[in-house]
Amino acid sequence: MFKKRIKKETVGLLFALPALIYMCALVVYPIISNIILSFQEVTVKTFSLPQKPFVGLDNYIEMFQDPVLLTAIKNTLIFTVCCIAFQFLIGFAMALLFSKKFTASQPVRGLLMMPWMIPITVTALMFKFMFGSNVGIINQALMAVGLIGEPVEWLTTSGTAMFALIVTNVWIGIPFNMILISTGLSTIPKELYESASVDGANRITTFFHITLPLLRPTIESVLILGFIYTFKVFDLVYVMTGGGPVNTTQMLSTLSYKESFEMFNYSKGAAVANILFVILLLVSILYLKATYKEED
Amino acid sequence: MKRKKLVSVLLTVSMLAAAAVGCGQQKTQTADKTAAADEGAKKVTIWYYWEGENQQEVLSQMIDDYSSSQDEITVEAKYIPFADFKKQLSIGATADELPDIAIIDSPDHASYASMGLFADITDKVDTSQYFEGPIESCSLDDKLYGLPFGSNCLALYYNEDMMNGQKVPETWDELRATAKALSTDTVSGLAFCAKQDEEGTFNFMPWLWSAGTDSFHIDNDKGIHALSYIGGLVNEGAMTKEAINWTQGDVMNQFISGNVAMMINGPWQVPEIRKNAPDMKWNVAMIPKDEEHASVLGGENFAVIDNDNVDASVEFLEYVTDPERLAGYLESFGYIAARKDAADGQFEGDDIMKKFVEQMEYAMPRGPHAQWPEISDAISLAFNETITQTSTPEDAAKKAQTAIDGVLAE
Repeated sequence: MFKKRIKKETVGLLFALPALIYMCALVVYPIISNIILSFQEVTVKTFSLPQKPFVGLDNYIEMFQDPVLLTAIKNTLIFTVCCIAFQFLIGFAMALLFSKKFTASQPVRGLLMMPWMIPITVTALMFKFMFGSNVGIINQALMAVGLIGEPVEWLTTSGTAMFALIVTNVWIGIPFNMILISTGLSTIPKELYESASVDGANRITTFFHITLPLLRPTIESVLILGFIYTFKVFDLVYVMTGGGPVNTTQMLSTLSYKESFEMFNYSKGAAVANILFVILLLVSILYLKATYKEED
Repeated sequence: MKRKKLVSVLLTVSMLAAAAVGCGQQKTQTADKTAAADEGAKKVTIWYYWEGENQQEVLSQMIDDYSSSQDEITVEAKYIPFADFKKQLSIGATADELPDIAIIDSPDHASYASMGLFADITDKVDTSQYFEGPIESCSLDDKLYGLPFGSNCLALYYNEDMMNGQKVPETWDELRATAKALSTDTVSGLAFCAKQDEEGTFNFMPWLWSAGTDSFHIDNDKGIHALSYIGGLVNEGAMTKEAINWTQGDVMNQFISGNVAMMINGPWQVPEIRKNAPDMKWNVAMIPKDEEHASVLGGENFAVIDNDNVDASVEFLEYVTDPERLAGYLESFGYIAARKDAADGQFEGDDIMKKFVEQMEYAMPRGPHAQWPEISDAISLAFNETITQTSTPEDAAKKAQTAIDGVLAE
């Protein structure tokens, strides 16, 4: 009996082995080597040395003294929180809408997935043109209806550049939120709503007492996955503003890229990437905890 | 149900189509040229980022000519987009997967040379016929790490139909007045790429130098004057603020679309404009000056990677930089030869290209400094702060100087 059990476990481990090797080679190794890199000083000067100088926390200290890093952390947080809030609320509303059957509801829902499927670079270029100040369609439309008197310099003014990025990313992210919440909604048994309506509950009470509580696990996943996905935004910002004007849309990811591949400060770039990694790791742990709790 | 199927079929098809288009593009972009490979023959690989069609054709021509001239060495070229080029070189260096020759942007040459990527070929080639600036851009500490291919510099383009009888500006004051007079709701009088990156710095250096300072000193009357002049152009409506998001290619497109009356740009745009806007009436002049004439030296260098293939690489370079052949290659490239014996007699009968040759006399290289990217970053931040009015020119100059001094002191 006991022997058999051990054998079973060994077989199980064997099944997990390919995944484990894969994870070690492609996830664990790069993370560790990136951490080591961030404690060394690898720049143009030390690049060819066989033994790179070890500098401890110097790269981190220098980066934290550089106002750009704090700006990048602040920007990334503002971007993420705003995007998640709007994506989630609009996605939720759409999921509720499409949970009702009406004419053409299925094809329209399918079409709404488009933003999620278009490559981000394409979307970014499209919105870059749309937000252009002289020929952009957004300014022309707003001026035509009289909302603004003169063109807004969307992507070249500090505050509005971030706003434009958020609008674009919300547009991309709505389908993701919608589809996950839709799936969640479809798992709620219809009988619950039927008996609630027999008991005389109105729509608002059913929403707050049946829909929301039963959707809680879905909502948690959507928010945390959305956070992780949004926090590491790169291509959108790189194409639309390149972190500008004057670093007002500089994110942790774009800063890391710039340090590593434009300025050849490989170690500082690694340090920024690790800061990004630690923040996301904390969020992921929260997520894992939440899902474990449910499974128990 | 049927509808659902239809939608999913449509979506799948469109996704597949997108994927197929993606593959197709990749194939045309990588202009792999493999000559008949002899057994035991040496192979030289080249990485390049030229995306223009005629530029890629010239490279293929070079490789074909060389392959038919001998049968010991085969040459293969691989396209890597400009935005990825530095990243790929850095990654290649750590992974030991480098080409034998990299055709790189001249200001980066010193950085990579100091990383130890390139071979010292000082004693292998004769550089007596080359111009000083381009050779300097291939050198570090008096050692030569490659050969310049061709050079370019920036000059002022103007749309003759839009000038409305205005005189072509020659000084900063005239430029400001003309650009203001030509600006309307939809037209920007002047534009140049003012991005916060190397491309933007490239376009800003002529102003800085014309004011009378050098690459490493910006916090002085002259540097501040250059910053406040450029900031003033934008804030007085002589130049569109969108230029901080425009690449040089974007600027050229706006120019041929008639949204920009005058632009600062390089000679590689000449064939493009002739092809895309054959009916447009335009001309080129020297960049208007403040204290002195100035332009910036651009162009690509052939960097020889340090590996066991150095001799084969040098042999290929000697072949393609032969003055007669080089002049032929550069003709359709819109570049000025980096060696005197090839530049003489270039662009016979082409007045526009002749203007660039004239402007070339005042073109200086950026840096050169192994940490030029960091210096460049400080400079591009300074003019972006001034243009967006996030800082005064004085504060921006001071901040940039602190950063530059930090790099120079290291």
